[in-house]
Amino acid sequence: MTKQLIISTSNDLVRIAPDRIVYISSDGNYSTLVQADGEMRMLSFQLGQIEKMIASQLGSDGNSFIRIGKSLIINRSYIYYINVPKQKLVLSDVTTFSHTVTASREALKQLKELLEKEAK
Amino acid sequence: MKDEKEIRDDEIRIIGNDTPPPQPPVRRLWGWIAFGLATVVLVIVLVLAIWNVREVAQPDAETYFEPQPAPAATEVRAPQQLGQAVDSLADGFTEVRDTTINDIPLRIYIPHNAEMTLHVGRLDKRDTTIVYAAQAADIRRDNRKIVGAFVLRGEPLAWGLSKKGYCAVIDGRITVGVAANSPLFEEATERGGYFFRQYALVDNGRLVENEPKNKSIRRSLCDRGGEIMMIETLSAESFHDFAQALVDLGADHAIYLVGSTSYGWAVDGEGAQHEFGVENSHLPRYTSYIVWRRK
Repeated sequence: MTKQLIISTSNDLVRIAPDRIVYISSDGNYSTLVQADGEMRMLSFQLGQIEKMIASQLGSDGNSFIRIGKSLIINRSYIYYINVPKQKLVLSDVTTFSHTVTASREALKQLKELLEKEAK
Repeated sequence: MKDEKEIRDDEIRIIGNDTPPPQPPVRRLWGWIAFGLATVVLVIVLVLAIWNVREVAQPDAETYFEPQPAPAATEVRAPQQLGQAVDSLADGFTEVRDTTINDIPLRIYIPHNAEMTLHVGRLDKRDTTIVYAAQAADIRRDNRKIVGAFVLRGEPLAWGLSKKGYCAVIDGRITVGVAANSPLFEEATERGGYFFRQYALVDNGRLVENEPKNKSIRRSLCDRGGEIMMIETLSAESFHDFAQALVDLGADHAIYLVGSTSYGWAVDGEGAQHEFGVENSHLPRYTSYIVWRRK
């Protein structure tokens, strides 16, 4: 069975399959998790804490997630379009959803190079 | 919980990317042997494949079908600029062009030798440096303040995300885009730039649907192949039809500007002033404008 990511607080718990996460963005002391079904969920953790949960709970499966700068964690499976000069990153399954996020040019350049390298 | 190690905005890292432990020398040796064998097999397969292709490529004398023309190579062309070519030393002005797309009459304003900033508060119509002005962000009915994030010359005046379209002007560079979360807001505050939010109309050449369904005079700020222009309808239109017309005009990105009777003007190459909307002296103090001034 696929590993599930569990994000638990004293009051509630979110249990989600990693491939259903499109991206997680930082909102100060909170984070917003955007799911593949279009739902958005506010999490009372900082992005760095979520990153640590992914690494510790998913182990090597956590490799499907990439931290981009201070504000984003993305699921690399959904990277659809990168435009470095326009600082634009589109995450999409090319069927049901498409989310546009922005990141610094340098970070997007590195992401582009990483994907190019992996394609070789 | 302890925080993950620091990361800068210009860095990326793969999460949980533990480097695999080094393999013992014996396993490495078997790895090399396997690699060598795989290479030999690959070479044999390649030789056989080339042999087969050469056989198949022999012309068939019995064929009676007409030879099919080779498919034409797809040519990707950048859209032709809409605005005229202007001497960079000429005085700034706004080119005003009328056109019709999908039966929607459109007026296109293309500033030349001018630069865009934002302005908050009443505008001086006698300011001869202005070649185009139009209302930018919406105003909230309850507190009469700006809707959505807004930065004026590096000073943030409003925060929040009610609309996903944005425009940032940083060091003279104009970016029109669509994103819930844009670092350009912070960049504008750090570098004395400008930023505002509005409804998104076109995102990367694709129409963006919006909730309001009424018809009204519509205005927008567009990026068409890097050429920035303002486009307004000369008849009342729905958001959908307006956005479709912008897509059909070839806009890559477009966001809304305050439409209906909101007031503004453009100054053409002859120095003539083209006013639109209805002038109103009782506007909220946080009324904002995009303003193009001669360089």
